[in-house]
Amino acid sequence: MVMSTINAPAINGSHYPDWEGRYYHIDQVLDRPGPRTDPDSFMAGEGVKNFLRNQCKVLVIGAGGLGCEILANLALSGFKDIHVIDMDTIDISNLNRQFLFRPKDVGQPKAIAAAEYIMKRVPGVKVTPYHGKIQDKDDDYYMQFNLVICGLDSVEARRWINATLVNLVDPENPESLKPLIDGGTEGFKGQARVILPTVTSCYECSLDMLNKPTTFPICTIANTPRLPEHCIEWASVLEWPRVKGETKIDTDDPEHIKWLCDAARARAEEFKIEGVTWSLTQGVVKNIIPAIASTNAIIAGMLYHLVNSCIHCSLASCCNEAFKIATSSAAYLNNYFMVIGTESVYSYTFEHEKRADCPVCGGESLDISIPGSWTVERLIEMLVEKQDIQIKKPSLSTTKKHIYFQAPPQLEAATRPNLEKKVSELVPDGGDVTVTATTLPFSLSLRITYT
Amino acid sequence: MSFNESQSQDIEGATTAIQSQPDSKTRRYDRQLRLWAATGQSALESARVLVIGASATATSILKNLVLPGIGHFTLLDHATVSPADAGNNFFLQGTTSIGRNRAEEAVRLLSELNDNVDACADTRNIADVLASDPSYFLGFSLIITHNLSPVLLTRLADLLWENPSSTPLIPVRSAGFLADFFVQFHTHEIIESHSETSPSLRIDKPFPALLQAARALDFDTMDSTDHGHIPYVYLLVRTLDDWKATHNGLPPQTHADKQNFKSILAAQKRTPDQENFEEAIAQAYRAWTPTVVRPHLVELFNDVTLPSTPFGHLLAALRSFSERPPHVLPLSATLPDMKSDTESYVRLQNLYRAQAAEEREQFRALLPVPLENELVELFVKNAHGVQLLRGARYGALDTAPAKLIMYLDNLTRETATHLALSALDAWRSSPSRQNGGPTDSELREHVLTLIPGTELGKKEFSDAFGEIVRAPAADLPNVAAFLGGMVAQESIKMITKQYIPINGYCVVDLVDTWTGVLES
Repeated sequence: MVMSTINAPAINGSHYPDWEGRYYHIDQVLDRPGPRTDPDSFMAGEGVKNFLRNQCKVLVIGAGGLGCEILANLALSGFKDIHVIDMDTIDISNLNRQFLFRPKDVGQPKAIAAAEYIMKRVPGVKVTPYHGKIQDKDDDYYMQFNLVICGLDSVEARRWINATLVNLVDPENPESLKPLIDGGTEGFKGQARVILPTVTSCYECSLDMLNKPTTFPICTIANTPRLPEHCIEWASVLEWPRVKGETKIDTDDPEHIKWLCDAARARAEEFKIEGVTWSLTQGVVKNIIPAIASTNAIIAGMLYHLVNSCIHCSLASCCNEAFKIATSSAAYLNNYFMVIGTESVYSYTFEHEKRADCPVCGGESLDISIPGSWTVERLIEMLVEKQDIQIKKPSLSTTKKHIYFQAPPQLEAATRPNLEKKVSELVPDGGDVTVTATTLPFSLSLRITYT
Repeated sequence: MSFNESQSQDIEGATTAIQSQPDSKTRRYDRQLRLWAATGQSALESARVLVIGASATATSILKNLVLPGIGHFTLLDHATVSPADAGNNFFLQGTTSIGRNRAEEAVRLLSELNDNVDACADTRNIADVLASDPSYFLGFSLIITHNLSPVLLTRLADLLWENPSSTPLIPVRSAGFLADFFVQFHTHEIIESHSETSPSLRIDKPFPALLQAARALDFDTMDSTDHGHIPYVYLLVRTLDDWKATHNGLPPQTHADKQNFKSILAAQKRTPDQENFEEAIAQAYRAWTPTVVRPHLVELFNDVTLPSTPFGHLLAALRSFSERPPHVLPLSATLPDMKSDTESYVRLQNLYRAQAAEEREQFRALLPVPLENELVELFVKNAHGVQLLRGARYGALDTAPAKLIMYLDNLTRETATHLALSALDAWRSSPSRQNGGPTDSELREHVLTLIPGTELGKKEFSDAFGEIVRAPAADLPNVAAFLGGMVAQESIKMITKQYIPINGYCVVDLVDTWTGVLES
């Protein structure tokens, strides 16, 4: 790890002397409240500066497009103790927006390269990288931070960190409430939100707002392809496993993409379909979302703004009556910001509401009504697809018995015969079913009635 | 690594290279080429951008233009780096940069972001350049300023406005959590608007080959597999054709008619959830929604001052095309996916393609001057979304009290915030200004010179004035990031002539987290 020779201190960041005038700009808003500042949660002057610059510890999840931007914003704003987690390495296609990386960094871990770059550029900041998965870390790890900022491209990872932070909340301990600030972009569009676990709506509450991923029916792919995408899906879903057996597709391997592109093109020619290209093949198999620097900058600017609100909020809650302040400030907070830049500029800020039957923060069972004729397999299919549930590979049980378990293999084999059975044979009308999945740190409680 | 020698490949282009891994430049820009394609990229690579003032906001804007690969930028600033600059600007190197020229330091660090971008630091004073070398500014394709003094900004804006080449100008103003920016241009032509409205399938006005194909289908002799795979386009055209035969040639008119039409479709199903018929019922509105020329185009067609540019000629031809029966735009060759077997779908697609090609030739014949094929094809393909924006001169709004007062009624917070920023500008240039910042009453006084006699009692005014008084000179890192993104997006839209830019002021308030637009 080569540190720059220019002005990068080898000492612990928080002890680096700030130069006179360093925070001239930001101190203007820290020293004085504005007309709309909530007097209960704003703490002017030295208290907040000291907290921000010497005590506050933040975690940034994801060192990609949003992560690079948010790290720079945090560092310039005076945060000195920043941690960053990312499991990815740098790809050439990141360089059009992930501005902490250079061509020489391709192949290096993002978290480490980003941390080094920030420390080199902004003197006195300590950025601690972790190259790995968020799931590697336990509750004690997450407890050490004052807040968590997320710039992730994975729904699964967001659900995991959201549920983890909700589970962390101990009503007796105000410090266990970790604000989660989350953002995402796609092309010229983006959104940013703040989640105060158990207080505001959580990520799981808003699962139904996600765009439904494009999926093609298997019969279209197998029998009646019409679009080049159908041919590419055929190549990756049917032809690859048939020819290559157990070998998994590595979407970062150009040889694999070439194979899929060639197979898809051959099929497209057979069916007289036009338009299979390398780029489209890569786009379909990697589910590529267009991304540009400017939208990331907008959303990161907004994420930092939410960080700032949370800092005041959590400072106030430390010094005052704990949750009461967090709760009352949250009441004013429009927790969800969206921007669309394709046609002029349109933005929208609103309060997303909690769901009483949210499996993570709601507590109530989710009522679902299904035909009495449905098999367990059909119910599972619904759980995978339903917009507000989306649980891949769910395992089902009642308080009395296992219905179906995906793992371990012995249990899977033992419960497999139930897939064919009617749900109504196993669960009484109005009965509860617990749904779990290994990828999600929570369980979903369903109350089933029959139509 | 350098990409200079290679042209980026067209992302969807039909060249021989498309079956192999793209070159490193195309891979680098992959995520943006999926938005603006090779045409947009090449426009960016030809752009020459001038940014005046190397503030945190200005370098944030530039960062978002250097990364996607504009051709050239110049950063013009004679100031030296202050300790405050070194604290809030990511494109300065801490205390090492203090005392050096701001433009040179920032250009050095911005250049690291992308080797393909040609960069230049100009350390002259803008006031001197405006006085001695005004033609300098006309050599750029876009100029952006941040918190430029109003006197110089007006001089620059007037210079650009009065010159026929009319380089677009984006003046940005910010103070603490408040900001606005304006896009100055005379006209702005957009062919690829990326409109989310899809072009008409002309179900209501089927072209002869489509009508013939729909009529020729013999439903009764089809087996259930074939019947389940008839594309919904045929189902709608056929059912509408039958309907018109018994309804004086009219499509369904009333709500009851429309329900009835849907039941006729539903009655033809052989199984309860036959997908192609479900799709036809969901798309049935196409049978009674007339294919017409969209209002924004009608407005353009009525504009007698179409420019004599290729775009103007294309618009004129489009107007002539739509004046002939059946009074529609040239057909789009793009067919959405629908339940169908491959053969029927490909056949239907070919019908649309053949008709689209024929209409494109008819369109071409209407052009007053010949234009290159690629341009004509691009225009026809995007005809339903083309736009010609007419912009306004920077500052015109502030000398139009009637318009300001009207905006104040409808867009109160946007107008109040904009006026507060104008008042800050005025305060900065007033001879009586004290060090520090303006007071609430000084700001009110300036606003009243713009809208004399207006009551400024609304909360929106005290909110905006209060924020300016709080932080009149603050260029906050996160506001700089936010504006850097917003202004770069608008710059990209202006340069690529794709997507639709703001026409007027965009006003930003990051206290209550909103943005709004005051249109020119």
